[in-house]
Amino acid sequence: MNGPSPISIRNLSVFYGDLQVLKDVNLDIPAKKITVIIGPSGCGKTTLLKSLNRLLDTAEGARISGQVLLDGEDIYAPRTEVTRIRKKMGLLSQRPQVLPMSIHDNVAYGPRIHGLRSKKDVDRRVEHYLKVAGLWEEVKDRLHEPASGLSVGQQQRLCLARGLAVEPEIILGDEPTSALDPPSSQNVERRLMELKQDYTVVVVTHILRQARRIADYLAFLYLGELIEHGPAAEVFANPKHPRTRAYLTGEIS
Amino acid sequence: MNGIADRNIGGRKRADLFFRVLATASAAVVLLALVLILGTILWKSVPALSLSMLTQTPKGGFYLGKEGGILNAILGSLYLAIGATVLAFLLSLPLALYLNLYKSRTSRTAVWTRFFLDVLWGVPSIVYGAFGFIVMLALGLRASLLAGMLTVALLEFPIMCRAVDEVMRLVPRELTEASAALGATRFETAAKVMVRQAAPGILTGVLLAFGRGIGDAASVLFTAGFTDRVPVSLSDPAATLPLAIFFQLGTPFPEVQQRAYASAAVLTLVILIISLAGRALGRKVTRHVVK
Repeated sequence: MNGPSPISIRNLSVFYGDLQVLKDVNLDIPAKKITVIIGPSGCGKTTLLKSLNRLLDTAEGARISGQVLLDGEDIYAPRTEVTRIRKKMGLLSQRPQVLPMSIHDNVAYGPRIHGLRSKKDVDRRVEHYLKVAGLWEEVKDRLHEPASGLSVGQQQRLCLARGLAVEPEIILGDEPTSALDPPSSQNVERRLMELKQDYTVVVVTHILRQARRIADYLAFLYLGELIEHGPAAEVFANPKHPRTRAYLTGEIS
Repeated sequence: MNGIADRNIGGRKRADLFFRVLATASAAVVLLALVLILGTILWKSVPALSLSMLTQTPKGGFYLGKEGGILNAILGSLYLAIGATVLAFLLSLPLALYLNLYKSRTSRTAVWTRFFLDVLWGVPSIVYGAFGFIVMLALGLRASLLAGMLTVALLEFPIMCRAVDEVMRLVPRELTEASAALGATRFETAAKVMVRQAAPGILTGVLLAFGRGIGDAASVLFTAGFTDRVPVSLSDPAATLPLAIFFQLGTPFPEVQQRAYASAAVLTLVILIISLAGRALGRKVTRHVVK
């Protein structure tokens, strides 16, 4: 591991009503690596991811106990400013959700609400992050057209550019390729591999092959419990827990 | 498998045919009613329709005027309905945003607020008229453009608010989450994402409420008054098209009764023009909506 981990999850439990979806999860996310959280549908992967940027706050009736430390600061502490927490993290959701505005304004949205005013600075930042997301060449001549006119794969890369444009430290991906066709998925995976140079990346997926391709660090979640976690190569080659082994060999899914 | 389907296919086709006839008949009835209403109004208004109907206030003897026009009611109705629609909008938009972004779907406040709005939607307009009248007296106002506007705004508010609310409920949660995940506050999400995404529906809600407001007679009967003059201030009484129709039809003079149909034709035309203008505007605001 290089440096202290930017996100530490301590005794995190999440309940929806009487249903406990996360059970006492403890995990340190390594810096500038891709951490992949795997597990069957409904095991709490998305809940875990959304607890990291406090998007669970908007979910109906979610109750949270435990701590999530972001650079040592408890994000659930009463005085913590939630918009600042979220600014530190870019989110890629399962299906790309472009905002109802132009391609340019989608990327400019975040920087603008965080106070970037001058048109020159905004334009420069939009261009830069569209390039990082590998979309610039495809859209540079139609920046002011509606973002909804892009293909789904392009929309997901636009969402990536939009997330990066607020200059976060961490990128969260909630099954970010599940709505995409294979070439677009590959494209997004490639971007994530490049981005780990500068960002800490956390991706949730139920596609094992994807996890094998991109994971540096692996966490296996089953029925709300964190069963096993460790460097991806180790866990894949030599899973310690029988359940992890069963999942990796396809006996449980 | 095939045996079952084959034995049943005759019955299924008959049911299909029956429903198709039913659906076509319903469409025909609606269309026919519309054509008959418009036809009657236009046919009966032909003798009285003239440019002076649109450009002059009532003149020439008889109660409500044998000559001249209904400019007083046209302008009165427009002022009143536009003012009321603006007031209703100022209440509806914030409330709809509050219900959809600040409250969870199952929150008690949201559930009860929607229920009260639905009840208000169902309250007959004469009740709003009577209520407006009492409030007007309590405030020491007299029948005036202002009192009419306030009453009609009250009538329009639940219609507009629920229409806007229903459209906002259809906006996917992921979209507002995407905005929140970028560090936007709820207000920023409301103003920059929700309003844009719901813009076509907001426009529909506003037009629906406007149409209801400008066409309503009972709510303005006691509150706006009626006058031959065009109102020049909020405290002047104001004539309205629905009341013009009502009073003109109620006179014993055939010349004036004819003019009621002309008033009805003008009212229908005003609503038509505003709806068409609204639709043209609607094409602009849907440009960025995410499907």
